[in-house]
Amino acid sequence: MTTFVATVVGSICFAVLAPIVGCFLDGLDRKISAGMQGRVGPKLMQPYWDVRKLLQKEKMSVNTVEGTYIACALFFAIVAGGLFYSGGNFLLCTLVITLSSLFFIMAAYSTRSPFAEVGAARETLQVMSYEPMVIFTAVGMYMIAGTFDVAGLFDMRHPLICYGWPIFLGLLFILTIKLRKSPFDISSSHHAHQELVKGITTEMSGPTLARVQILHWCENVLFLGWTGMFFLSAGPASLIVALVFVALVYFLEIWIDNNFARVKWQVMLKWAWIVALVAGGINIAVLAFA
Amino acid sequence: MVHIGFLVCLPLVAAVLLSLVRANKARNAIVYVSAALIAADSLWLCFSQMGTQGVYFTFSSSAVDAVCTLASIAIGACIIAYAVRYKNVWAGILAVVQLVGSLVFDFTLAHTASVEQGLYFDSLSLIMAFIIGIIGTGICVYAIGYMEDFQKEHEGEKDRRPTLFAIMFLFLSAMYVIVFSNNMVWAFTGWEVTTLCSFLLIGYTKTDEAIRNAFRQIIMNIAGGLGFLAALYYSAGVMGTLDFSQFLQMGMIAPALVVLPVTCLTFAGLTKAAQMPFHTWLLGAMVAPTPTSALLHSSTMVKAGVFLLIKLAPLYALSVIPSMLAILVGGITFCLASFMAISQSNAKRVLAYSTIANLGLIVACAGVGTPEAVWAAIFLVIFHAVAKSLLFLCVGTAEHHIGSRNIEDMDLLFERMPKLARLMMLGIMTMFIAPFGMLVSKWATLVSIIDAQQVALIVLLAFGSAATFMFWAKWLGKLSGIAAEQEDVELTVHKSEWIALYAMAGLIVVLCALLPVVSDCSVLPYLQSVYGSVGAPIGNDLLWLMSVLVIVVAIVLFAGLNRQPKDVRKASVYMSGVSVNSEARTFINSMSGETEATSRNMYLENIFGEKTIKPIGEIACTLLIIAAFAVSLSLSISVLF
Amino acid sequence: MSFMSKSPWVIHYDASSCNGCDIEVLATLCPGFDAERFGVINTGNPKHADIFLVTGSVNSRNIHVIREIYNQMPEPKAVIACGCCACEGGVFHDCYNVIGGVDRAIPVDVYAPGCAVRPEALIDAIVEAEKVLEEKYEAMKKGEHAPVIPLDAPVLKKGA
Repeated sequence: MTTFVATVVGSICFAVLAPIVGCFLDGLDRKISAGMQGRVGPKLMQPYWDVRKLLQKEKMSVNTVEGTYIACALFFAIVAGGLFYSGGNFLLCTLVITLSSLFFIMAAYSTRSPFAEVGAARETLQVMSYEPMVIFTAVGMYMIAGTFDVAGLFDMRHPLICYGWPIFLGLLFILTIKLRKSPFDISSSHHAHQELVKGITTEMSGPTLARVQILHWCENVLFLGWTGMFFLSAGPASLIVALVFVALVYFLEIWIDNNFARVKWQVMLKWAWIVALVAGGINIAVLAFA
Repeated sequence: MVHIGFLVCLPLVAAVLLSLVRANKARNAIVYVSAALIAADSLWLCFSQMGTQGVYFTFSSSAVDAVCTLASIAIGACIIAYAVRYKNVWAGILAVVQLVGSLVFDFTLAHTASVEQGLYFDSLSLIMAFIIGIIGTGICVYAIGYMEDFQKEHEGEKDRRPTLFAIMFLFLSAMYVIVFSNNMVWAFTGWEVTTLCSFLLIGYTKTDEAIRNAFRQIIMNIAGGLGFLAALYYSAGVMGTLDFSQFLQMGMIAPALVVLPVTCLTFAGLTKAAQMPFHTWLLGAMVAPTPTSALLHSSTMVKAGVFLLIKLAPLYALSVIPSMLAILVGGITFCLASFMAISQSNAKRVLAYSTIANLGLIVACAGVGTPEAVWAAIFLVIFHAVAKSLLFLCVGTAEHHIGSRNIEDMDLLFERMPKLARLMMLGIMTMFIAPFGMLVSKWATLVSIIDAQQVALIVLLAFGSAATFMFWAKWLGKLSGIAAEQEDVELTVHKSEWIALYAMAGLIVVLCALLPVVSDCSVLPYLQSVYGSVGAPIGNDLLWLMSVLVIVVAIVLFAGLNRQPKDVRKASVYMSGVSVNSEARTFINSMSGETEATSRNMYLENIFGEKTIKPIGEIACTLLIIAAFAVSLSLSISVLF
Repeated sequence: MSFMSKSPWVIHYDASSCNGCDIEVLATLCPGFDAERFGVINTGNPKHADIFLVTGSVNSRNIHVIREIYNQMPEPKAVIACGCCACEGGVFHDCYNVIGGVDRAIPVDVYAPGCAVRPEALIDAIVEAEKVLEEKYEAMKKGEHAPVIPLDAPVLKKGA
């Protein structure tokens, strides 16, 4: 029962706070990217204005179900976030966020738009590419901490990173896919001029697109939380350390985004799996046998 | 015990009746009535004995032994006759070896080891009885409507439906024999009967391909049956017992003694559960009519194999060699079969590969042998049975109404067959996504294999699961496409088909939502009776959380998607220019003509094609099996002499 | 309050431009002029866009395309004719296949003259278009909608 209440309360808090944090991070991203490109860039509030504008636009859709699928995707992303930030089960969190991705993919497929379909197919490839590493992360956490509960990490003497740094590096690699950053933004890019128009979101417009945007903010906050999790240990000081490292990781992702050209899916799949096998496999083997 | 007798005999009686009756109406009536009776009695048995720790009946009968001997002779004679008729040397040789082997056994060793308690049931066999009684009979009901269409499509061919229905009911009876027999000889007879039945069902259409695939099935499964027979020889000759529960107890006390028979039984289980390198028989079985494939896949044949392995699980926890054999073969099969499923566009082949993969996972779980792993294995069995049979039946119905079983042709099914598409989506989601049962079981699998420190299996599971997402998600995507008003071709679906489909779908939702209850009332009692006190690998609080999410998804699927928002402007699909017709996806090309935009799903043939993956799996698994036999043989020799 | 003027997302279509104006449109979005300062994003997708930038004149082949893109944009939406050709046909105005400026195909809100149009002029036009978007948003709330123009509708009157 306590799990249930904690998840519900956590989800409500996440639903309120994650979009705010995510929006701020997105603004920061655009500002820093502009700086790296020698531009002034938009105001920090720009992502917020974008979404407010999208919400005010006309409701337009190619079918009746697209909006329902996106609402589901958003709902499950919030549940996943609530699970994680209320200190709940990490593995369940990864499973629920996969469900959210599935609804997102189905929304794109349901439009039968050629661009959206190719985008959705690539999105499934992306999920397939990062999924092994996500499972290894959960496995590594369980082997080191003895629990899947995020709250349990606060009882540890040493943070996860001490025994799980290869897994952390692997997670960083697939984080680029999850945050939809170049070179792995193959299903949909937040920059213009993609060969797929807007890939998976091509047919989504107005309020639906706004929800997709909020979905991405929530996802970003959640995934950054996954990286921060590696630095948690007993004592409140570890939270500050975690936040510092999360900021560093985010900066690193922006830097990667600005410095690498998009790759083909074959390259993404190959390297994501190789990294997962080497980083995850070896780390887990060492944890099991050493 | 009356119930066991009833469940074994009623399908037999029905089978005899069905093989004699030629009138359609009478046949349908018999099928409905006996299916209802079997289902009702299975349910009654399950609920009245819920949570049982196992009940053993003192029952031995020389009459039953004689029937078993006669059945062996009949099976051998039948296969030899077919082998002679179709000039298949291997099947003939194997059948002769098996016939001679089982006759020699029946007249010599079988009498040295008498079995007091011939019949039993525990919570696991009740779960199996539930699956056979509900899903097996559901498939039989479905077959009424399906075979009517099938017969129409094959106009002018001989109506062999009496045989088909008779074999299906015989199948059910044999399954009950397997799950309720404590006497290993009786279980073996049931085992061989299922082999023969599936041989006849696969060859049902008598085309060249069907006959070829049927023989492949029979060769592989007789080889497995010989493994079972070898275990019987060892058990009776060396250990002096044919009582399965005694066999297990002796094995727990002296694991070194039972290494060889357990390896033999594992081999038998692997063939029946279509693990690599024996997976090809199950792919070949796809030529059969759909109810046959559903019956083979979900409720009977393959589940018999994993049932045996789950029973052996406590021994795997103690003896390394058969355990590693099951874990590695199961794990490799899970991973590689999932890979190969990506490259398939034929819906039934995708289902077949996914079945092989999931059976691999069950086999691996059984091989780990810890109580948590067995918990996961049993749930995998339950959810795989319901979800897969729903999917097979959906594909069968779709095939008759859209004329294809190719996934690419299922575009727009959401509109052409709205109810069927939603059922199919439910089935697919149950197979691979949280919060549905299969994924909960996979989660439990993961927990149990981490606890057991099976690194190789963790890696195989991680990559296999990723591939699973890919092939299911793209199929789901194809189903969910919506254009404009399409011709509704659903109206001609038979009523019997809807009954079966909705029963399965309802069962899925109920089972997923009540997962913690099933765990407490059925699965944990079994684990308790085998391992002593144990807990589930996943806490009930989390399971209830999943239940809530299941209900949310079910509501969205069956209610949320029917919503018709009012103030939404309908726009055409973006085609980089002038679209002519959004529904047909045509646009004006650069020559002012019309071009249709087409897109296919990705099948990644170059990476995950059968040509690349299959040899790897076959060689690896064959070597594993040979190595396991060699080591366990030498171990046994050193123990015995 | 409306947020229309805060985030003008554009889509750019080259009708039959000589590519001079197109280069200038891209230059506007590049670091030199950095139109993203005002929240401008080049979406490349009518369904995401608020402002339709058309370069070049309208001819009998592309008039359908322009109308299709216009119809696919969600309201409120504004159209900017970029450069002389887009405004009224330019040097191509009496070619055999040229119909005229963009306003012959769809209603135009802002005209940005120049051959080729200067980035400064374009930024100015976008800021103008933001005001139009605000007005149209108010109108949309009152229930007044932009017309859906059938692809084979007759050519509009000049400057309509």
